[in-house]
Amino acid sequence: MELSKKTDLIINGVSTAGGGVYEKVKIDGIGTVEGNLTSSTLDANGITKIKGDLQTGALDGDGILKIFGNLSAGKTLMDGQMSVKGNYRADHLTLNGILNISGNCEIESFEVEGAFEIKGLLNAGRMNVKLQGRGKAHEIGVESMQVRRASRSVWSKLWQWMLPKFTPELQAETIEGDDIDLEFTEARVVRGNRIIIGKGCNIELVEYRTELKAHPSAKIGREVKVGG
Amino acid sequence: MERDLISKKDLLDEKGISYGQLYRWKRKQLIPEEWFIRKSTFTGQETFFPKDLMLARIDKIMNMKDDLSLDELADKLSPLLPDYEMRKIDIHKRNIVSQVVLERFTPEDADSVVYTFERLLYLYVVDKLLQAGEMSLEEGERLLHLMREHFPKFEGKPCDLVFIRKMGVSSFALLSVPAEMYYESGVKLIARLPMAECIEQLKGKLV
Repeated sequence: MELSKKTDLIINGVSTAGGGVYEKVKIDGIGTVEGNLTSSTLDANGITKIKGDLQTGALDGDGILKIFGNLSAGKTLMDGQMSVKGNYRADHLTLNGILNISGNCEIESFEVEGAFEIKGLLNAGRMNVKLQGRGKAHEIGVESMQVRRASRSVWSKLWQWMLPKFTPELQAETIEGDDIDLEFTEARVVRGNRIIIGKGCNIELVEYRTELKAHPSAKIGREVKVGG
Repeated sequence: MERDLISKKDLLDEKGISYGQLYRWKRKQLIPEEWFIRKSTFTGQETFFPKDLMLARIDKIMNMKDDLSLDELADKLSPLLPDYEMRKIDIHKRNIVSQVVLERFTPEDADSVVYTFERLLYLYVVDKLLQAGEMSLEEGERLLHLMREHFPKFEGKPCDLVFIRKMGVSSFALLSVPAEMYYESGVKLIARLPMAECIEQLKGKLV
């Protein structure tokens, strides 16, 4: 294949495109891509479906974005709902809304306000979550993380209406990391170096290395100090 | 062949690393996904690693991470065959492959012939199985043939060598991992070698 200058893909209105390699992809309206898509940037407004893998340098989405394969992106900025059927790998994610990932998620910086569900492992460098609905992951492994309930803003009424009626809390089987700061979290095991268990937490087992701070109202089944 | 496993907790204690570091190395693909083995224990699901491979890998990362960035390190550790080349005489001198194997399988090559890493790897695998007393020289010949013909097709993707025997008739196969294999009754699995492990071992011998 000769190396020619890559073209742009632009969809306005309702349309379907094949996959391929593009420079810029811009979708306004309802766009479907019937295959793997590779691009430098992807800007999606409205309802976008990618029926394959998506690989892009920068992803900016507003509305609903569905990816049927794996997603690999440098930077992701998303407002609305994003779902990935495969694995998700990225440098940075900022999301307001709902995130659904059926596979694993590997990411350097994970900033989510809203709700999320990750069926596999969430592996993040920095994780910052403000929950307005339920956050769920099978396993979480991080360098540092902070979980908070979002403050009730003007938007929260709208969110409450849009989101499934789950109380805003984080659920995970295991959470492991160096610096862990939790609120409103239900987990079987939390293991780490410095751990803060804040209000509304219910943890069966906490294993910590240097320090553990627990809010008086937090429920902790068993706490163990490990290592030196 | 059940391999020696180490739990995540024991590994961290033994090497003095933190969860954050481990996850970070995984993200940077310094530790392959296949090494994360999930098993149910009485405390629920735990993660285990192949012990010898993992300990060696962690040592390597800890030794090199001061000089190299993690991305550079990832290139170094990729399972693709490195450009090590060696003359036949040096292979013998440094006892990387035994004299018997060299004599039997490379009689036509002069001492100064340079072997590529791939070729060396094939001989190393043959030598390994011979030394373990699991394989005859004739079978070694066939193994070498298989490796030459099919190993390059994996293009550096992880694969296992499987060696089985039934009623005295032996056969070899290469399969990509992770894969599960079930045999009919009467088949004896003599060896299953992860090639990535062999490559690591050989690399360790060369440097």
